[in-house]
Parts: sequence; structure tokens; C-alpha cells
Amino acid sequence: MSLMRQVWMLVLGVVVLSLIGGVAVSANSMRQLVQTQLQVKNSDNAAALALAMSQQHGDESLMTLLMSAQFDTGYYESMQWHRADGSLAFERHEEAGHPSEAPAWFVALLPIQAQAGAAQVSNGWNALGSVEVRSHTAYAHDALWHDTLHNGMLQFGVGLLAGLMAVLVLKRVRKPIDAAVEQANAVVQGRFVTVSEAKVPELKPLTQAMNTMVLRMKGLFEAQAGQLQVLQQQTLCDSLTGLSQRKHFLAELESALTRDVGPAHAGLILVRLRDLATLNSTLGHAQVDQLLLTLGRAVKAYPDRVMGCLGGRLNGSDFALWLPAPDVVAETAQALVDVLGSSLVASFSGVNVAVAGVELPRHSAVSNWFGEADAALARAEQGQGISLYCAVSAASERPAQGERVWRAQINEALQQNRLRLQQFPLVDQQGLLVHLECPLQMQLTEGGEFVNGVNWLPLAQRSRLTGEVDLQAVGLALARIGEDGKRRCVNIAPSSLTEGAFIARLRDLVFRSPQSARKLGLELPEVAAMQHFDVLHELSRQLRPLGVLVGLEHADAGLAQVERLFQAELDYVKLDSSVVSGVADDNARLAFLRGMVIMLRSLSLQIYAEGVSDARDVPVLWECGVHGVTGPWATAQHQGA
Amino acid sequence: MLRSLPILSNACVRHGLRLGVLLLGLGICQVRAWDASRVMEAAAAMGPRTLAEARALQGVVEKASGQEVLQRLALINDFFNKHIQYGEDIDVWGQIDYWAAPLEALDKGRGDCEDYAIGKYFSLLAAGVPQAQLRMVYVRAMFQGRSQAHMVLAFYEQPSAVPVILDNLIPDIRPASQRPDLTPVFSFNGEGLWSGVGATSAGNPVMRLSQWRDVLNKAKQEGF
Repeated sequence: MSLMRQVWMLVLGVVVLSLIGGVAVSANSMRQLVQTQLQVKNSDNAAALALAMSQQHGDESLMTLLMSAQFDTGYYESMQWHRADGSLAFERHEEAGHPSEAPAWFVALLPIQAQAGAAQVSNGWNALGSVEVRSHTAYAHDALWHDTLHNGMLQFGVGLLAGLMAVLVLKRVRKPIDAAVEQANAVVQGRFVTVSEAKVPELKPLTQAMNTMVLRMKGLFEAQAGQLQVLQQQTLCDSLTGLSQRKHFLAELESALTRDVGPAHAGLILVRLRDLATLNSTLGHAQVDQLLLTLGRAVKAYPDRVMGCLGGRLNGSDFALWLPAPDVVAETAQALVDVLGSSLVASFSGVNVAVAGVELPRHSAVSNWFGEADAALARAEQGQGISLYCAVSAASERPAQGERVWRAQINEALQQNRLRLQQFPLVDQQGLLVHLECPLQMQLTEGGEFVNGVNWLPLAQRSRLTGEVDLQAVGLALARIGEDGKRRCVNIAPSSLTEGAFIARLRDLVFRSPQSARKLGLELPEVAAMQHFDVLHELSRQLRPLGVLVGLEHADAGLAQVERLFQAELDYVKLDSSVVSGVADDNARLAFLRGMVIMLRSLSLQIYAEGVSDARDVPVLWECGVHGVTGPWATAQHQGA
Repeated sequence: MLRSLPILSNACVRHGLRLGVLLLGLGICQVRAWDASRVMEAAAAMGPRTLAEARALQGVVEKASGQEVLQRLALINDFFNKHIQYGEDIDVWGQIDYWAAPLEALDKGRGDCEDYAIGKYFSLLAAGVPQAQLRMVYVRAMFQGRSQAHMVLAFYEQPSAVPVILDNLIPDIRPASQRPDLTPVFSFNGEGLWSGVGATSAGNPVMRLSQWRDVLNKAKQEGF
């Protein structure tokens, strides 16, 4: 039984008991009083009657008349006159008996036993015997019954008042208890919320302790996040410039190029400090470091400020900057040149820097990107000083159709349900299926090929259709879950979160399939947690109670920058392939991964690894504490099984 | 003092005794047990003079118990008439009307008419006279040429017979017919009288209203 119910029972028990006890005690004491009064009345009336009878000079008829008169005008049950020799001289007796208004059980429960009053009758010196007078108890019972009812009513009123007060007090007490319990539940679920301190002194330490604990958790999390950032700096970044090392940059780029969400076209800028060996000898090591630092700072300014932007130091003299947006390469490269021009010219002379920019469709292969960029860089290197060459693809290479056509195509595909879900398994250490990742494919032209989100999502995003698309995907997933009962996860675009009624519509949709909802997962890119934290939180709060899992995908070191991650109500995090790939060979990456896993596990999140292709990475991932993996390896594994 | 006592036939006496014994046996008439040791205790608490008085009373009661009934009446009547001086309640007790229990009266050595009657009543009960044969009687007495309210103890040999009167004005026991100075008004005794239910009545102010009931309780406390 819950504590509150026990307290309630206690209050109720006390009130009822005091009610019954109060009524019983007062009824009994009233009975005593009535009984005594009745007894006194019997005695006194007997004495008065005997006194009157003694004055009748022994006239029996007068005496019996006196008795009759008194009997008829009073409340008597019986009246008897026994002569001195014991024989009965006169008797009056109420035959029918006065019916009592009090119920029989009440009369039986509280009997009134008043002894008959007796007095001696005489005529002069002659004893004429004695009279015995017995009053009716029904009247007494009536009075007792009415008094008890009245009393009971009063006591009931008082009890009701007491109960009401108890309700108010309990409510007051309950509020902080509920808050504390809610907080405790939240902590169990990995949400670390603080509550306002309870005013009740007994609960104050509890809420204080809970709040302290949450703040400590928060501190711990912040410390871990900070540590992670330091670790990232130490292991994945170049120590001089703080940019990603080559290997990490390539992994990040690979991941950025292959994920669904992102622009259709992107840009890559390479910056090369030429003749590094010569500079080393002419300027000295320290000066060259200063030079490289200046270059690195100029490049790093972009990833620091723009989300999704990647910067890296490829080797001693080469820097790379990937821009996740179309049509910005030329101006960014120019801006970079300008910045370098002003800062380098002021401090160094005779330094040659080549800057090259290319723009390609985002899903082009990494080798393509670097092939094009290297070619452009070679062109740029033909110049002197700070030289620039940009190879921006011509407009003709872009998809021919305009935005309106795209919008119409997507709308049509949505209306005609030309959509299907792919499915890729996510397996745990035992090789069992955790859930199926279900990216959406769309048939843009009727009868045509189903194409991946990479092709149409950027356009849907621009046309603000992602919400519609995501709802369709969720609907499909729910239907499929209903068929085979397997857990499925659907991607939600961050831009959908900003659409007005998206969460409400999503909730309605999920609400209609409560059974399937418990096997549904919704995942959003890490960017969503950075840009739309509150909406993401709202989504979790609305959907998790229905049994829907909510997670983040493509998570990397950036996750440590989400300050309130410990308050977001999430179920799982999928680590980006840039974080998890290659951990078998690279201790630095492994150390970073470990740090990440520790941080996320402290938030009681499930941790999955994305895009795992190398079988050698898998045991290392398990060893790190990752709960599941997905990607080519998992797919092969699952099909094999 | 027995000179004016009416001569009752032996048969009558024997009959009366038999009736008393019969009543006793049937338990109809409740004879108050006299708890002599308790009486002595109560008297001792009042003082040595009272104890002496109580011892004397005890002697008389014991002596009387062995005698025939009229003898008993005479002994007890004499004892109280001699041991208690007449005094108004207001002088003795400082109250307009006060009914003293036997030991209280003996303790003061003074009392008025009802104190005599009460003392005799309880002592006779102690000596084994059935309650049914005793009655306290309110009478109008012509004394020294003026009428006054008075109380006497009447003994009924038989219920319908003329009683004999134990009085303090005329210390001789005489039949009522030979007491033209007394006009009876009302009589009572402890018979059928409800004396309250133990402890509850003691603290019950209602019960204190009756002088008679009060004196019954007091006498009970004293051991009568």
C-alpha cells in the first residue's frame, strides 16, 4: 500500500474511530444521566403519591382514584399498591406500551433500567402497605435516540471538517513528495532535473539531497564532457592548430558525405603552405610554427562557428576545409585569402600559400573530392604569394529541374505513397537484432527508381516538406511493426522539429497504434540536439510515455557541447562512424571512444556504433561498452545468421 | 420504664417473631447486617469518647439481640434517650435541618427528634428487628401546649396492628393509641428504597437531595 494511502487510512480510521467513540461515550453517559433521573423521578413520584394517599383517611376508592389520576396524566409504565399483608390492592399497567421512536437495536444496545420507586402508605398509625411506581422508559429512549442522532450529526460534521483539513494538509505534504518522486524517476530515466526546495522540514533535506545529487551529476557530466573535449584535442586533433588530424578529418568527411541529411552540394577548400622545408631552414622552426598556427586559425574559424563545417590538417603543410553548403566555396576561399593576406603579409615575407576550392555534389566519393581539389590546388600553385583557384561546377551540372518541380515531385510521391522503408539491422553483442534502422526511399518519378534520402532530402528540406515525409515514414514503420513485430527506428529531420504542428501530428499518429508504438524508435541527428534542444525535449516528453524510443544519431565530439544533454529525455545515442571506425588500430581514437562511452553511460543511455564495416573494430567496440552496432558488418552478420 | 407498655400476648409475640424469621428466610425483608468491627473503626476515627459510646451501644445491641422483641425495643430506646441530649440542629450542627447518622449523633451526644429515631432505627436493625416492622413517622406533636413537627420511630408487631412508639419526648414505649399528643402524617422506611448504585451515587449531587437517602448512606459507611 502506498504511503499516502496508508496515511489516508490512518486519518480515516482516526476520524471514524473518534466519531464512533465520541457518539458511544456520549450516548452512554447520557443513558446514565437519563437512568438516574428516571430513578429519582420514580422515587419522588412514589413518595409524593404515598404522601397524598396517606391523607385520604384510608378511603380506598379515593386512593385508587388518586393513583389513576396520576397514572393517566403522567408517563408511567405501571403503578401498584400492595396492602400491608402483601395482597395487591390496585394496579394500573400500560397495556400496549408506548412505541419508542428509537430503533429496537438502539434500545437493546442502551437499556435503561430504572428501579421502581416505592413508598409507604399509611392512614394515621395504620400501615396501608406500599405503592410502587414505574415510569415509562420509551420516552427516555426517544430522548436518548434523538440526542444521539443530533450528537452523531455534530460529530460527523466535525469529522468531516477534520477530514477536509487532512486533505489540505496531505495535499501540501504530497506536493513535495510527488516532486521528489518525480525527480527520482527522472534520475532513473537519465533526466537530471532540479526541483524547488520543499517547505516541509522533514522533506527539505530530501529535496536538497536530490538537488545536490542532480547538480553533482551535472557537474560530473560537465567534467566528463570537458575531459572529452580535452581528449579530442589530444587524440584526434593536431596539437599545434587544434584542427582534426588527417585520419579523423577523413573519417568525419566520409560520414558527412554519406549521411542523408545535408545539402545536395558542398564545397572543399585546400590550403597549402608551399616550400615548408625551405621555410624551416630560412625562418627557423619557431617562426614556421607561428606561420602554421596563423594558417590553422584562419581555417579553424569556420568549423568553430558553422555547424557541420569540417576543418583538418592533412599533413605538415596542407589544411582542408569542408563547407556543408552550396555556392559558398568561392567567397569563402576569397575571404580566407584576404584574411591570410593581411595577417601573413604583416608578419612574414616570401611565404607562398596556395588556396584551392571545389564544389561537388555532396555524395561524391572522398577520392573524387580530393582528386578535384588536388587538381585545383595544382592550378593555384602556379601563382605566387597567396594564390587562389576555385573550380566551381557550372550551373549546367546541377539538376535540371527547378525547385518548384522538385516540390511537385515530392508532393506527388507522398500523395501516391511511392515510398518505402529500407531496413538495416542493429545487433547486440550476442548477434541478436536490437532494432532495424529504416531510412526512407522515395520514387520520385512514377515507375522510376526508389532513391535514397541523399537525393531528395535536401530539396524536401528547402521546400519545408520534411515534416510530411517524416510522418509518412513513421506511418510506414508503424504498419510494418504491426506486421512482423520487429523494432524499427525512423530518421527524423531536424528541420521537421521546427514545423509548427509536427510533434502534435506525430503524437496523434503514434497514438493510433499503441501496440506498435512500443517498438518504434525515432532518431534525430546530433545537430537537432544542438540547434533545437527544447523542441527535441518536447518531442521526447510527448512520445516517450507512449513507449516510443528517442535517440540521437551521427553523434560525435560535438555531443559534449550540448550542455543540457543530461536533461534531454533520450533512450539511445548512435555514435558516428567518424568516431567508431578504425578504433582497432588507433589507440588515440580508442581512448576518445572510451571517454565518450563513459560519458554517455553515466547518463544511462544505450550506445550504438554506426557504420561499422571493419570486423576487427567490433570486439573493441564491445569491450568499450557499446551496446550495439550497425553498418555493413552488422548487415552481413545478420544476413549470415 | 416498661410500666405503661401494653401487655401483648405471648402468642402475638411468637407470631410476630415467626413472621420476622419467615421474612428473613424468604429474603423479602432485608435486614441490615451490622458490621460491629467497622462501626468501632468509624467510631475510633471520631475520637475516644465516641468509641466508648459505640462500645456501649455494641453491648446494648448484643444484649438486646438475645431478648424478645419488646425487650429489644426497650433497651435500644433507653440507650438513645439517655445517651443523646436534645438539641436543635442549628445549635448542634450549625444547619437548619441535619439528619445525623447514629455515630455522628453519639459523637456529638446531642441531637433532635429525627436523630433519636435514626439511631434507634439502625440499632434495632442491628439487633435483628426486621425493617418491615419499623417505620419512621412524621408526626404533629402537642408538646408543652403547642404543636410542633416531630419524628418518631414506630414498631409494627403486625402490619395492620397499632404500632408502639419509640419517642424522645415521652421516653416510655407506648402504643400509638395511648399517644393522643401525636398525629401521624407520613411514614417511611428503607424498604424498596433505592439507595443508588454504589460509587456513582456517592458523587451524584442528585442523590444528596434526599435527607433520608443521605443518612442511609452515612449509616452504611459507619457500618450499620
